[in-house]
Amino acid sequence: MSNSDLIVGLEIGTSKICVVVGETRPDGTLRILGVGQAPSRGVRKGEIVDFETAMKCVHEAVVDAEQKSDVMIRSVYVAVAGGHIQSFNNRGCVILPEERDEIDDQDVEDVKINAREVSIPAQNAFLHSIIQHYHVDGQDGVLNPVGMLGGKLEADFHIIHGVRTRIQNTIRCVKELPLEVEDVVFSALASAQVVLTQHQKNLGALVVDIGGGTTDYILYVDGAVKQSGALAIGGDHMTNDISMGLRIPMARAEKLKTEEGSCVLGNCLPGETILLKDDSGFAGKEIERETLNTIIHLRLRETFELLKRTVEEEPFINYVGAGIFITGGCSLVNGIDHLAGEIFEMPAHVTHAQTLSGLTSAVENPQFSTAIGLLRYAQAVQVDRPRRGITRIFGRFFSGMR
Amino acid sequence: MIQLSKNYSLPERQEEPIPIKVVGVGSAGSNALDRVLLDGMDKADLIAINTDVQSLASSVAARKVQLGRSSTHGLGTGGDPELGYQAAIESAEEIRQAIAGARMIFICAGLGGGTGSGAAPIVAQLAREAGSLVIAFATLPFSFEGKRRAAQAQDALSRLNEIANAVICFENDRMGDMVAPKAGIHQAFGIADMTISQSVRSIVNLIQRPGLIRIGFDDLFAALRSQNGRCLFGFGESDTDNRAHDALTQALKNPLMDKGRMLSEAAHVLVQVAGGPGMTLSEVEILMRELGRHVRDHTQIVFGTAVDGKMGNRLSVTIISSLASEDSIAAQDTSPPPAFLEQVEEPPPAPPTIDIVHESESAASLEPAPDDLIAAEAPPPPVPAPSIKKPAPRLIPPKKKPVVEKEAKPPKEKIVQAKQEVLQFEPVTRGRFEKSEPTIVEGQDLDIPTFLRKNIRVK
Repeated sequence: MSNSDLIVGLEIGTSKICVVVGETRPDGTLRILGVGQAPSRGVRKGEIVDFETAMKCVHEAVVDAEQKSDVMIRSVYVAVAGGHIQSFNNRGCVILPEERDEIDDQDVEDVKINAREVSIPAQNAFLHSIIQHYHVDGQDGVLNPVGMLGGKLEADFHIIHGVRTRIQNTIRCVKELPLEVEDVVFSALASAQVVLTQHQKNLGALVVDIGGGTTDYILYVDGAVKQSGALAIGGDHMTNDISMGLRIPMARAEKLKTEEGSCVLGNCLPGETILLKDDSGFAGKEIERETLNTIIHLRLRETFELLKRTVEEEPFINYVGAGIFITGGCSLVNGIDHLAGEIFEMPAHVTHAQTLSGLTSAVENPQFSTAIGLLRYAQAVQVDRPRRGITRIFGRFFSGMR
Repeated sequence: MIQLSKNYSLPERQEEPIPIKVVGVGSAGSNALDRVLLDGMDKADLIAINTDVQSLASSVAARKVQLGRSSTHGLGTGGDPELGYQAAIESAEEIRQAIAGARMIFICAGLGGGTGSGAAPIVAQLAREAGSLVIAFATLPFSFEGKRRAAQAQDALSRLNEIANAVICFENDRMGDMVAPKAGIHQAFGIADMTISQSVRSIVNLIQRPGLIRIGFDDLFAALRSQNGRCLFGFGESDTDNRAHDALTQALKNPLMDKGRMLSEAAHVLVQVAGGPGMTLSEVEILMRELGRHVRDHTQIVFGTAVDGKMGNRLSVTIISSLASEDSIAAQDTSPPPAFLEQVEEPPPAPPTIDIVHESESAASLEPAPDDLIAAEAPPPPVPAPSIKKPAPRLIPPKKKPVVEKEAKPPKEKIVQAKQEVLQFEPVTRGRFEKSEPTIVEGQDLDIPTFLRKNIRVK
């Protein structure tokens, strides 16, 4: 196995840090070799707040992954999340010189640069420029303009950007270990790579990745990314709500949420209670099930409603045909698909990474969607351009960031 | 103190069991009866009544009555209630003999067919004429059995409702919920039989079992009293460490309870907790507190408890109630709880209350066990009857006392609670997000729990 076939995805989440090791096969399939994880500390709402602690946790997770997959990890793809991440759509334009009318690679690169010549806040840096469609002399829907004849090349890009220093923090945390950072990927974009099939992307789909600290979303219409972003609300908030509402410690609330919680109201007996037991089995407090569910329901409903208002600022949600795909740790809450379906008025599914071989138990856990998605993203980028290309893009994206 | 009361009330009751007969009418009725017998019933006589000789012969009941020797010639009625009616009229004398001498008669019948729908009302009528109290357990057919049968069943049910003192109605469709989808159809019918058997046995036990806080006919009828209402019934038994909780949960899971949701609409709830000598006060307390969450604050809870050596380690809960139709709930809410003394002092103001007096009064007349003569006189109770009843409360003061207390307290508390404004003393905090950057969207700090921001009380 040559080292270049090895891809490692690292997600520094709010509740856990997860490292997925995979290898690409010559036939283009991806195989998961091992998954390492460690509980996360020093991370709030998807951003590192305690550098030293977070670094230790990342180290733990990486060591765990190395042991489980029996490989040396040298470089990783890192997912970033956080409420600071924003996006917009922009069109770039290039006029071909008089003496030439065939579009070449350089023109495509130029139009991309042109599309990024927009003002974003000074402290922000570009994370992704994702091509939607090209237009050649006003002709719509061109997918690959190279080799076509025309005088004017335009391109629609979806541009994702975030606060430079915060992205740098994540990168630095990994670099100090020391590991090389191959690329930094917005987490919802990574998740979408494995959660959605190409067909679903074409039909139009909204991927909602509800993790511990953030809720990231990405919306595909006609196979192209149209909208994306992040809300700094996640499972942690739910746990916090439960802890405050029922007056129980956070650890207890977390356990209660994962083991008993549901966001469906009116589905339990009136007065039905859950007996909280501590580690020694001593029966402590009694908690009314409906109360617990109400707290979870209210938080999730609010999150979804906020998300709906956010995506409805642009018209693309109306063209979503395949529905909503919920993934991430919080998608394990009972009944979340019904709630999402009710609010967005379209079919909602809880999904996990699809069509991968190897450790299927890991694949089928929605908690790992992002980390596995990183592998697929990396694979796609590598196939697109050989290694040299990646460093080039990377160098361009993050020049001055290291 | 508990020890003392147990000592003097226990032997007294066991010596004189109330004569009870359980009658199964029609094939469904005798199936249910067989189930009652197989599950064990030594405190009542069982009688099978049917037109179909074949079905009758296979019944395990001790006493059997064949209906309509000349009208059906030992065959079934072929689903014709008219034929069932004719057959019952023809054999009226035999039925009368069979049910004679019982103070209380349970009639089990499957409505919708010929014998059950046709004969059960006649049996009920004969029993009432003989001076017995009649409680009918009727099953309604599955909806897939057709509209005709459903109509026949409804017809028979309304007639039974007029005649019997109380009707407990089981909808077979609901039984279906209890059976796994892959289970055979016989299991679905079996479940219906089992539920009936459970109800019959627990009501018989309820009345026969010597109680510390005894439940009598009057309490039973208070709980079941409703015109065309639905009866709720739940029974649970457990011998685990947490048996009080488990038994109640099981009782609430009964299909007739609709997961306990229906209880919240009931005006009267009768609860009997029975257990071996090891049953503790705190267990009963836990159980009643838990049950209290399922009912409204002004629901009258009639509570009884009994200690039975045969129960061993087990603890059982029986919940009986009925959903009155809307108007009668209103009537009961405005009138004071129908405790004995109050009924006597107050002239019944509305027609439904006359019914109440009638039923509980006839029930009460049977209450003092030693005298059988009163029982015979009871059924035709004219309006002035209440005045005769004055001595009755004196006989059972220990039972009534706790009940009255229970009724009186909750409504008062409720009123106070409802009027009091709840002040939010809790300072608005952000919990674990205290030190992180606030997430402010649309002017709201999303780190503060949603229920606090929306001012929804969760407790």
